Amino acid sequence: MKRLAMALLAAGVVFGAMLTLAKPHAPAAPLATLPAVAIPTHNPMSAQKLHLGRLLFFDARLSGDGSTSCASCHVAQMGWTHSDPLARGYPGHRLWRNNPTVLNAAHFTRLMWDGTLDSLEVQARSAMQAPVEGNGKASMVEMRLRLVPEYVALFREVFGTEWPQLDHAWQAIAAFERTLVSDPLQVPFDRYLAGDGSALTPAARRGMALFEGKAGCLQCHNGALASDQGFHALGVPRQPQFDSSALVQIAVRWQNRQRDVPSAVYRDIDEDLGRYYQTREPADIGKFRTPSLRELKYTAPYMHNGALATLRDVVDFFDRGGGEAVNKSPQLRPLGLTEEEKNDLVAFLEALSMDRPLIVATPELPPMLPLDKKGLP
Amino acid sequence: MSLSASSGGFGLSRTGRPPARPWVMRAMWCVLGLLALPGMAQEARVQPLPAPAVVRPQLAELGRHLFFETRLSGDGSRSCASCHAPAKGFADGQALSRGYNGTEHFRNAPGLLSVRLKDRLMWDGRHAGANLAGVVREMLTDGQFMNGETRIMEERIRQIPPLLALWRRAFGDASEPRSEQLFESIAEYLRSLDFPATLVDGALRGESAALPPAVQEGQRLFSGKAGCVACHHGPLLTDGKAHRLGVSEHPALQREPLRMVSLLRHHTEMGLPNAMAERGDVGVYAVSKNPSDRGRFVTPGLRGLAQTGPYMHNGRYDSLDQVVEFHDGGGGPGSELRPLNLSVHERQALVAFLRSLSAPLAAVTPPPAYDYGLIDGARR
Repeated sequence: MKRLAMALLAAGVVFGAMLTLAKPHAPAAPLATLPAVAIPTHNPMSAQKLHLGRLLFFDARLSGDGSTSCASCHVAQMGWTHSDPLARGYPGHRLWRNNPTVLNAAHFTRLMWDGTLDSLEVQARSAMQAPVEGNGKASMVEMRLRLVPEYVALFREVFGTEWPQLDHAWQAIAAFERTLVSDPLQVPFDRYLAGDGSALTPAARRGMALFEGKAGCLQCHNGALASDQGFHALGVPRQPQFDSSALVQIAVRWQNRQRDVPSAVYRDIDEDLGRYYQTREPADIGKFRTPSLRELKYTAPYMHNGALATLRDVVDFFDRGGGEAVNKSPQLRPLGLTEEEKNDLVAFLEALSMDRPLIVATPELPPMLPLDKKGLP
Repeated sequence: MSLSASSGGFGLSRTGRPPARPWVMRAMWCVLGLLALPGMAQEARVQPLPAPAVVRPQLAELGRHLFFETRLSGDGSRSCASCHAPAKGFADGQALSRGYNGTEHFRNAPGLLSVRLKDRLMWDGRHAGANLAGVVREMLTDGQFMNGETRIMEERIRQIPPLLALWRRAFGDASEPRSEQLFESIAEYLRSLDFPATLVDGALRGESAALPPAVQEGQRLFSGKAGCVACHHGPLLTDGKAHRLGVSEHPALQREPLRMVSLLRHHTEMGLPNAMAERGDVGVYAVSKNPSDRGRFVTPGLRGLAQTGPYMHNGRYDSLDQVVEFHDGGGGPGSELRPLNLSVHERQALVAFLRSLSAPLAAVTPPPAYDYGLIDGARR
């Protein structure tokens, strides 16, 4: 990592390396219950749009070889992410990051671990068309939709077009995803905030005090999402598959190339530079977006590279003061937590998840049928 | 039979955009058409195969490995050889080719032997023969065929040590895989592939004994009464031009939605006006946008037919007997052909001649399937 940072310095990409370290932090917003999802005016909700979006979310015909749907990597039974540490992606691949959950993604203003995308609509398109994820060629996928009479009817009803258009598919999927959010009535912490003192166990209440106090979690995990949506370098342990998996090594180099890392650098690269790709600030190397702590119970493993398997592993990591990183956050320091305190923290973290996972039944997908001769579906 | 010299769309790349300056293309084709006519009389004869191409051996050897390499495709499952199998004359033996996983193609996969001699590539001639590497690019990257992405191909090759070694033997010790060179390597391998010489080649050169009587008779008919030679001439027995024969649509096109998906998607990619309204394969029209090219397809060569059935752009005919019968009848609706009134005996003689243009293929052993290697992380 240091060698890489030096290479980037030498490549003349550098400006003001140390500036952001001294940035003062605003007082942390308190944890809160999530508000209703904001619905963008350009993509209003309707029952039929949600129905369509749900179908499309599960439809592998949106991928290049018809093998991979959104739901392939965002599995309802796995917390709308996947239990693999690194995302599986499209067949023939293994990706370089843990795939984020769809749960509560609707509440984020910045999506992806490096904050490169800003809307669910764009994310849906990006995921289904990226060669390592859905690998769907737009013209092919769009035409598949047009040979599904039920889709033709639904797109016409929802969007008013003669034939399904792919950009509308991403809108429908995004609309569906805006329904995949925590229900405060089912989250112990939210019930506690609403006045049900018994909703949190004593251990969870002690954990909450640690979270907001001694452990300092609230510095970054604040607000209704328990995320500042900021970017921080923690020195998360290296994902072993970066060294043991040929597919991951391919993915790492490819991702760096896609982000226009200079070729002299990317060929030797075996790291994920995180937020740097977006800002080109060396001070952002190794920084990743603070994840939400909601629904953690269902979304293991953890961290941008899935390197930590359990919540206890995560707490232990922070208790050590994080790991090593060139731009490591000064907010991390050894915490000196006792065993009991660690258990209490885990109990609180689990209380940020719903009592039962949010499951949506896999729909039966409408078939592709021959077109009639007149050109009408 | 009129020659389709007005097929102005040839030379367009598959960008889905209309031609930038169509009048330039049309003017060019008018000139080419005029130039071609005087030459026709001289060239309208069957010719022996020319000497093999001189290829760069290390490039061709790399290309041979890449030709069989499934990891060039998007999901790592399909290689060039999946649809261009050496034992099938580098075609796939299907009426309509399969294409990429999750797709079904709407045309027949052509064989690749002596592809270096073709003037136009693809059934609709949308690529010039000289642009073989460009066609390789299209096959490897297009969603219909291998749906690969060039940088992923490059990084995968870097991760396969024996392939990287072959690469560096071809392009230098310090070279890194680059897609343009990758396409060129496969093209170079294809240039090394030729049809085996046949008895007909020997006879044409005056080097071998006389052909069997039935073949001789077929050859006479081919160049005489049946008039085949008007379009099927030269060393590959093709004029490299597009013609309308009125071959009927393959019923699978209407029956199997994925094939219609591929066809309509092709129309939209090519920028065909009113693309969603077409229900059949419009051929060169989708390339040229010239309505007179509707239903025109490039004349296929006639070598190696024994290995490359079914026949025609959509594999409509399983046997050469059917193909000859179709031509004898003057083709289908809108055909440029005229009825030939051949006797059964004459048709058989023609088939005998066509068969004599094939010879057994040399067996091709695919290269070993190499495993990925790890790149040492110690450099950190």
